[in-house]
Amino acid sequence: MSTEVRLPTIHTAGLAAAESALNAALKLSPHSVEALKGLADQVLALECTKPALTLFLRADDKGYLHLAGAHEADVTTRVRGTAEDFGALASAKDPAAELINGNLELNGSSATLTDMQRIFADLDLDWEAPIVDGLGDVAGHQLASMLRAAFSWSQQASSNLQRQLGEFALEEARLTPPALALEDYYSDVQQLAERSDRLAARVERLRQRIERLRLS
Amino acid sequence: MTEKDTTHFGYQEVETKDKAGLVGQVFDSVATRYDVMNDLMSAGIHRVWKRFTIELSGVRRGHRVLDIAGGTGDLAAKFAPMVGDQGEVVLADINASMLSVGRDRLIDRGVPGNLYYVQADAQYLPFPDNHFDCITIAFGLRNVTDKDLALRSMLRILKPGGRLLVLEFSKPDNPLLGRAYDAYSFGILPMMGRLVAGDSESYQYLAESIRMHPDQDTLREMMENAGFASCDYHNMTGGIVAVHRGTKG
Repeated sequence: MSTEVRLPTIHTAGLAAAESALNAALKLSPHSVEALKGLADQVLALECTKPALTLFLRADDKGYLHLAGAHEADVTTRVRGTAEDFGALASAKDPAAELINGNLELNGSSATLTDMQRIFADLDLDWEAPIVDGLGDVAGHQLASMLRAAFSWSQQASSNLQRQLGEFALEEARLTPPALALEDYYSDVQQLAERSDRLAARVERLRQRIERLRLS
Repeated sequence: MTEKDTTHFGYQEVETKDKAGLVGQVFDSVATRYDVMNDLMSAGIHRVWKRFTIELSGVRRGHRVLDIAGGTGDLAAKFAPMVGDQGEVVLADINASMLSVGRDRLIDRGVPGNLYYVQADAQYLPFPDNHFDCITIAFGLRNVTDKDLALRSMLRILKPGGRLLVLEFSKPDNPLLGRAYDAYSFGILPMMGRLVAGDSESYQYLAESIRMHPDQDTLREMMENAGFASCDYHNMTGGIVAVHRGTKG
């Protein structure tokens, strides 16, 4: 499948740098590398329409991830959407549900995409190994423990802040409706849209029938 | 008086039969410092150009790939794991010094055993008809004495549907960039050659041979005339380098 690549030198250099960074991170997460081996030779095409950018992702049988701006063969899965849509999928707790309900257009196997998303979501970097290699066992372990504690605290603080802000907006400031009410509302809108479509189809059929009767 | 059969060697007019020997002397002289000089001259960008060429190759597991004028084996090293055990990669170069440096380097790097080394002239490739899925020639075609003959030879050994990729210096598409590039090629390049490789003449030849090489559209026409179908090219770094692609119909 051929793709036109704009500014190939910059595009390719950017992808080469991203590929190195990703693989360096993956080296710190051996279980992610093992999981990627299971996806060997499956090619995922990510077509971002806004901004326009196409990216091909492929893992090899050693769990090394390859990024390319052009891929001249069939792809396993092709996903199309805006950067916003891809962002929603990347941060989704349930990627399969996001694929069904989101705005991304998908061709081919969805399993490759959801498996890849899950591998990155479950990325558990072992910071200690490179730090211990550089600083020695004692100092390295101390620094790694401190970093791990700081990382864990910041994750927890961010999650608490998110929950408290949500509660404040809903309960105290009454800025947002409850999630269930919102889902009901979306469902009503969806039903209304479907009924409108059906009505439009009926009107069109009726119009064609009248037209036929008039001509006969 | 009979008219002599001549061709260009950089800006010099030489007898056709002498060109291969003269080019051979250039590469004998630069072989051991070839990689260092490539990195220095292009600020490492030659790796990006080669990477893009590989992306366009469509090479996959089980394919048979020939890398002509493969020099120190940059492309062959990348192709070898892509084709896997079922495939094969042949690194060919007319110059024994370059081939020897490339072979030592790839063996030292532990590149898989599906890689073969052949000393061969691009004009008379010693392979059966319809043999390769992909042929690449990176920064080599401009040194070939008869480019049309070489292109026809490549077409013969490609399988139907197989692809030729020619990565080569070309003509910058912006006049300002062209002037800066000229100043760099004829001013700084030979000086770097003298300081790093102890040989300014070879790098003077490099700059001259680039100017004498056909531009993007001419090379595409040459590929079409040789019998390649669906020929196109991608300019890189403002046209300083272009990768041409053609398919055997």
